[in-house]
Amino acid sequence: MAGQTDMELIKDGVRLDGRKPDELREVKITAGVLDNADGSCYLEWGNNKIYAGVFGPMECHPRHKQKADRAIVQARYTMAPFSVNDRKRPGLDRRSSEISYIVSQAFEKVVMVEEFPKASIRVDMQVVEAHAGTRCAAMTAASVALADAGIPMRDMIPACASGKVNDVVVLDLNKEEDNYGQADLPLAIIPSTGEVVLLQLDGHLTPDQFEEAMDLATSGCMDLYKIMRDALDKSYGGKK
Amino acid sequence: MSEESKNNKKSENSKGFVLPGDLLETKSKPGKGIFRKDGRVYSSVVGYSNDRSGYMNVNAIKGRYNPKVGDKIVAICAETGPSVWRMDIGAAFNSTLHHSESGWKVPFGDTARFLSIGDAVWAEVFMVDAAGSHQITLKKDDCRKLYSGTVVKVEPTAVPRVIGKQGSMITAIREKTNTRIQIGQNGFIWIDGKGEDISKAQKAMETIDREASSEGLTKKIEKLLEK
Repeated sequence: MAGQTDMELIKDGVRLDGRKPDELREVKITAGVLDNADGSCYLEWGNNKIYAGVFGPMECHPRHKQKADRAIVQARYTMAPFSVNDRKRPGLDRRSSEISYIVSQAFEKVVMVEEFPKASIRVDMQVVEAHAGTRCAAMTAASVALADAGIPMRDMIPACASGKVNDVVVLDLNKEEDNYGQADLPLAIIPSTGEVVLLQLDGHLTPDQFEEAMDLATSGCMDLYKIMRDALDKSYGGKK
Repeated sequence: MSEESKNNKKSENSKGFVLPGDLLETKSKPGKGIFRKDGRVYSSVVGYSNDRSGYMNVNAIKGRYNPKVGDKIVAICAETGPSVWRMDIGAAFNSTLHHSESGWKVPFGDTARFLSIGDAVWAEVFMVDAAGSHQITLKKDDCRKLYSGTVVKVEPTAVPRVIGKQGSMITAIREKTNTRIQIGQNGFIWIDGKGEDISKAQKAMETIDREASSEGLTKKIEKLLEK
């Protein structure tokens, strides 16, 4: 982390994978891919491959987690054992519990939880292939799946990371940049209001770089939001 | 600015297709599928906006059944208690069918003799409270236990399409397949008849569910059933 590296991750404004510093990887989103879930989404983001499924609103179990006046969002982020180079031991670990928790918190801000007292909305995100930036990718997929499930919400949340490699602030880190870069800043916003619902930072950024990284991630989120809208439009809007 | 006008044009083309958080330009009263913020109305679901009824509604494409008092539904028994049945009606919560609302004389603890898990009934929603719990009754009109037949589940939002204008779709399916059909407002559909006929009707229902937002469905289904 925050490591000094001899690796040349960016050269003459071109990154290892040929992108400019402010360019996203290619994102493909398909809504409604699973029959058994109430809502679902498959997302490919560079080499990341993620499925998200939504169930509910339904009765909340365990009962002690119920809220008398509103629903809770129970998000679950899991990585497949074959999603990374070294086999990942399946099941919950420190990292996935953290991501599940922050994603639940973020979605409770946009889902109209007060409409479903005592209920639970389950959001399951399965990372099939990981290539850096999976928490953002999983959240984006989950947003589309929630919309696909017909769950009322104030807006969809796009999530996107920015970071720093070789002292240059860049958008949407790939695997190499994530491993050998100097900072990683995942961000999720509510596009209509600009509210921040998720913000984390690994590594070191100067105040100026932080501002730059925030602006970059915000614009990345807005680009992503358009792709999410197009995906839903393609699945449902074309029918008359 | 050009981006904005492009977006507006697009939504016009696709017949008021809206996504969560989209601003709805309207003077009508707020209806369903929307939320208000700073005196303006926004869509809260993926669906088609419509304010012809005097209310600004967004009809969602998908979503769980939202029970309303007076709705006729098909319910499936999910659990039996000493004096109640818990019924699956496709809503967020299971519905309660109290023994006093069943029309049968049920001895305490002997509920499973009348309705056991998996049995279907044709019932009416008679109470919904603010906390989201609801009760159904069998003591109304033609409510009864449904023997034989099968239950098909479609999206509750597709129910108007299954029925069709003045029941045109459902009449066509009934006549063409020679089956008895009860359509619950919750998207549970009970079909009874000969095995082949049921699977034919079932296929028709599934097609309607899949293509609920396309035009000329009745003709398409009639064609499908004639095969």
